[in-house]
Amino acid sequence: MIAMNRYVGRCVAVVVACCAAPALAQRGLTDIPLPDPAAELAAMQVADGYEVSLFAADPMISKPLQMNFDPQGRLWVSSSSIYPQIRPGEVADDTVTVLEDEDGDGRADTATTFARGLLMPTAVLPDDRGGAYVANSTELVHLADTDGDGKADARSAVLSGFGTEDTHHLIHTFRRGPDARLYFNQSIYIHSHVETPQGVKRLNGGGIWRFRPESVGLDVFARGWVNAWGHAFDRWGRSLVTDGAGGEGIYYGFPGAAYQAAVGVSRILHGLNPGSPKYCGLEILDGRHLPDDAQGVLVTNDFRANRVCRFRLTEAGSTFTSAKLPDLIHSKRVTFRPIDVKMGPDGAIYIADWYNPIIQHGEVDFRDERRDRTHGRIWRVVAKGRATLPRLDFTKLSPAELLAHLASPEGYARDMARRELAVRGRADVVSAVSAWRAGLTPETPDVERLKLEALWLVQGLDCGSAGDIDAALLREVLASSDPRARAAACRVVPDWADRLEAPVELLASGVDDAAPLVRLEAVRALARIGGERAAALALTAVDHPRDEPLDYAVWLAARELRNAWLPAVLTGRFADDEELGRVVYAVRAAQASEAVPMIVAALAAGRVAEADRVAALECIAELGTAADLRQVFDHVVAETTPAAESHLLLGRLIEAHQRRRLVPAGNLAAITAVVTAGDDARAIRGLEAAAAWRVAAAGDAIAVIARDAARSADVRRAAIGALGGLPGDEPRGVLVAFASSGGEPVVAAAAIAALVPQARDEAARQAASFLAAVTDQPLAEGVVRAFVSVKDGGTALAAALAGSRAAITPQAFAGGLAVISASGRPQPELTSAFEVARPRETVTTAGGPHAITPDQLDGFIELVKTKGDRTRGEAIYKREALKCASCHRIGDHGARVGPNLAAIGAASPLDYIIDSLLHPAKNVKEGYNTLVVQTADGLVVTGIPVSRTDEELVLRDATDRQITIRVADIDEESPGTSLMPAGLVDSLSREELADLVRFLSELGR
Amino acid sequence: MHTCFRAVLFLAAALAASARATEVEITGWSLRDGDRVVLLGDTFIEREGQRGFIEAALVAAHPEASLTFRNLGWSGDTVWAESRGVFDPPAKGYARMLAVLKEQTPTVVVIAYGRNEAEKGEVGLDAFRQQLAKLCADVRTAAAGSAGPAGVRLVLVTPHPFETADAESRNAWLARYAAAIRDVAAAEKAGLVDLFADFPPAANPSRRLTENGVHLSDAGYTAVAERFVAACGRPAVTAATSARLRPLVVAKNELFFHRWRPANETYIYLFRKHEQGNNAVEMPRFDPLVAAAEEKVRAAVGGSRPQ
Repeated sequence: MIAMNRYVGRCVAVVVACCAAPALAQRGLTDIPLPDPAAELAAMQVADGYEVSLFAADPMISKPLQMNFDPQGRLWVSSSSIYPQIRPGEVADDTVTVLEDEDGDGRADTATTFARGLLMPTAVLPDDRGGAYVANSTELVHLADTDGDGKADARSAVLSGFGTEDTHHLIHTFRRGPDARLYFNQSIYIHSHVETPQGVKRLNGGGIWRFRPESVGLDVFARGWVNAWGHAFDRWGRSLVTDGAGGEGIYYGFPGAAYQAAVGVSRILHGLNPGSPKYCGLEILDGRHLPDDAQGVLVTNDFRANRVCRFRLTEAGSTFTSAKLPDLIHSKRVTFRPIDVKMGPDGAIYIADWYNPIIQHGEVDFRDERRDRTHGRIWRVVAKGRATLPRLDFTKLSPAELLAHLASPEGYARDMARRELAVRGRADVVSAVSAWRAGLTPETPDVERLKLEALWLVQGLDCGSAGDIDAALLREVLASSDPRARAAACRVVPDWADRLEAPVELLASGVDDAAPLVRLEAVRALARIGGERAAALALTAVDHPRDEPLDYAVWLAARELRNAWLPAVLTGRFADDEELGRVVYAVRAAQASEAVPMIVAALAAGRVAEADRVAALECIAELGTAADLRQVFDHVVAETTPAAESHLLLGRLIEAHQRRRLVPAGNLAAITAVVTAGDDARAIRGLEAAAAWRVAAAGDAIAVIARDAARSADVRRAAIGALGGLPGDEPRGVLVAFASSGGEPVVAAAAIAALVPQARDEAARQAASFLAAVTDQPLAEGVVRAFVSVKDGGTALAAALAGSRAAITPQAFAGGLAVISASGRPQPELTSAFEVARPRETVTTAGGPHAITPDQLDGFIELVKTKGDRTRGEAIYKREALKCASCHRIGDHGARVGPNLAAIGAASPLDYIIDSLLHPAKNVKEGYNTLVVQTADGLVVTGIPVSRTDEELVLRDATDRQITIRVADIDEESPGTSLMPAGLVDSLSREELADLVRFLSELGR
Repeated sequence: MHTCFRAVLFLAAALAASARATEVEITGWSLRDGDRVVLLGDTFIEREGQRGFIEAALVAAHPEASLTFRNLGWSGDTVWAESRGVFDPPAKGYARMLAVLKEQTPTVVVIAYGRNEAEKGEVGLDAFRQQLAKLCADVRTAAAGSAGPAGVRLVLVTPHPFETADAESRNAWLARYAAAIRDVAAAEKAGLVDLFADFPPAANPSRRLTENGVHLSDAGYTAVAERFVAACGRPAVTAATSARLRPLVVAKNELFFHRWRPANETYIYLFRKHEQGNNAVEMPRFDPLVAAAEEKVRAAVGGSRPQ
């Protein structure tokens, strides 16, 4: 209620201010410029050689969400004034508008409302027959214009069952693929359940769907991303993707790939530009209007920072590298929100500007009156001094003329020609395609790509009959001299597999191709076809080098085809000596423990090639029984085993304990040899292993190491930690001695933390004295964190603090409260114990808790604007005590615990930044909500979910560590609050806080 | 184990049935003044909500009665509520579905499942039969407070046949699932609308009922609505009456959809409600709008006001 009143009050103030004098409207949170397109244009900084003009604006259109051109050169725009949420009683009356530039002067002359009565239409794609496909919340609808008056008069739900859990995640980003499929995306919070004639298709979380309207065939192309709001195909049909909430720039997508936030997936791929801001929309520049240096450049929108950005890709192995180029447009106007970009029929670049000061509805109230609901622009960008292209009506061209356009330098023309040919249908087109193909000679420029275009046309015209495919053409493109054509052709094989003779054998050369991108597509195609032979063939890719996407493709194939190859392995059909390396790879990928005895036997018989030997041992450690693990253990402790190999395999054995609670069989005292030997890294792993396995026999040796000043601090700390894991009173006695010796604080802190799981109350007593003396805040935090990480640990520490009656140090006080706050759950007993033990003086006396009431907010914002200093703010940001950088990144510097702040200033109003600093738990960015998990062992882990499968949950905790928890061990889980501690900025004076806010508010501007 | 479980259910159902009013026929059923009908099912029911054929026909066929309908269909759903888990496993979605159903105070619940479950073929058949029976029992429990001493009346619906290119093999399976639905309906003494039997699969399927082989066209919904009216023993409704009522029914259902399945659920009710949960106050504001829209339906059919 209070929050609502606050907004209502402010909105009244804004209205008054706007009416009174425009200049006064610039105050506070409402730095909202007047919506004059000329002023918006004047405020744009445009890259040299380009100029921007207005193609269309309100009232012709409002709030554009997606735009796509049709073969007549008209621009279809979907718009919503309802977003983010329909009001009770509001009629769902959002629209699709068609814009037409009749005289070709670069400005839309007419705007026809093609359809209304829509509910948040997040995407529109013309069907090239006068109608359109539209994303309409829960459904993908087809709108037809049966009487040809330019307005929809028939509507049908083509697909339904898409989730609406978050309305900026609704299905979006419609794109026609070169294969004539309709590709579309959904975002992270969406759960979709769609009935098709081929069965129910489900997708939980983000991903890209692909859909063939003629057969209502629907499948998932790729998974993941937070908001995959951009998707473009390059000339060879390769998918490039952007994420409106990810931070890795341009992503390379292929069938089956999974990225950040994919649900139920244990391994993901990454984008090509880590540390980027978030991007919306994606288009590839090409064509005769644009200069040479623009050809192939990718354009996307950093809508938070009011920028239109450019990237250049370079092919690298099976994927690309991506380099950011200078911005195409940069504006300081917060209302400029470029969200879509498309190449137009005249060779110019078109940019949809959503035009809104507010871009979110998670952080900013649904009904915030600062939301713009009426404006919107389409901008047109041309290259200075270069003629734009004459516009063509592709619907008026003959099949032969359309085919000629497939050689066009303009992606727009190629796309429209392909789409128009698909509309004409088989009868008219097939013979024309044959004639056109017959005219292609080895001398024809671009002939390899043109043959691929022919293959795509046949694919697009496929109606499912045996005669609809062209096996000869497919073979020809599979054997193309250009690897990009060969790769694209591989992708066609599974679509036609039911009608091809021996489709699997068609991919045999692809999986052995010299070019990694061909091997990748061949492996993915084999995985889609399935069967034992396809599996065996796909796994031959293991014999070749693999970059990350290619390895991912093989790994995924091994998992998807598990039921095809595993029976063959178990019955000895797929187990020849030269196949063992592939088998080991597949068994590890699919975690097929059934096959471990066969690998153990093969290893014992010396059948495993030297190159595969370590992988086979890793496989046994990952999946074997306790007896199998013993064999790996013996190898680890053998003197002849190289240290690096021993280190690697010890790591696998420790994981076997973490993930499967398995310990190598028999007496493990030989681990002593590892921990006492020279190599630090291996010794530390050995200490971890000894603790995990509770090897009492190693206790004396470990106690010696813990005391041995000649060993490194890391090894000694690990030894102290290990003592906490060992059974019996002796190790505990050593730890108590360390904890209370009054020696090095770093040793005492480690000893107390190590005591917590086994001897909580003793540890708590030691901690109370420690916290009364400690002057190093991180050490104090480590000790407190050890208590809040176990069930009832906070209660024990609270009791000990109360019992000791001693005041704690300021560092212990500040650190303790920060740890409690970051634990994601309230700890009332511990908090009040800290308050009681509070030191007389706090660390700094400058600020104290900043309470800024709604009434004071405008005044504080004024202070930020008039007195706030960006440079001083940056220095404050970098102060260690504030810990900003220990959790957040700016660009690619800093940790990954919290959201990247690279564009926070451009993305967020000042009130949001201030609120987030003072009340971190109030608004949590999507993807940063925490989980509090309590395990059967009494551990309590708070963190942000990184990945989750049926077996494992991985959380990232406040110290940027990834923690893997077995799902079977989870006793309880509940949503936590923000990992960002409250009160972090309490140490700042009001002026310093203003400096910090000023610095943050300018990031990304 | 399974057989035992089923036997217990049958016994429970038989005992419950003997305690209920005897007027309920095994296959026939009727609607009465004041009935609140809740519809559960998959895309068939969800799209019925958007198109209104069945509801309009049933309202028009009972001009003397005040009937209200609440459509809880969800695309792709099954008797396990597989579409309703949202961020949780289906079991939680199932519990939420029953909670929403209870809030609607039903006296009659129409349950239309089986098409999506039939994808599993033979291996899924027993589990489907058991879960359908469990759903019936759970619905009775959830509706116990609203349906009076006689209990809620259940109406089971078999799926209409496929009209896809591979319809022959798929309908063979669907026939087994339809038979299971009939078994459960008999055991539960529930009403039945037997769409699978009413529209025998054709040897060479044409699109008599469906748009895409699976989902009903307007003609399909019209035919199916006729079967609902006939199944509850009423004379057919004219096309003109249905056409007049449907837009009103659809408008009411749209309001109710925003009420029970609002967009932005993540922020309104779920794990980000600490941010925008204050907007949940808007949801009950749909209630009077739904009631007013319902009043328009009643006025159009010339019925009396509800009690």
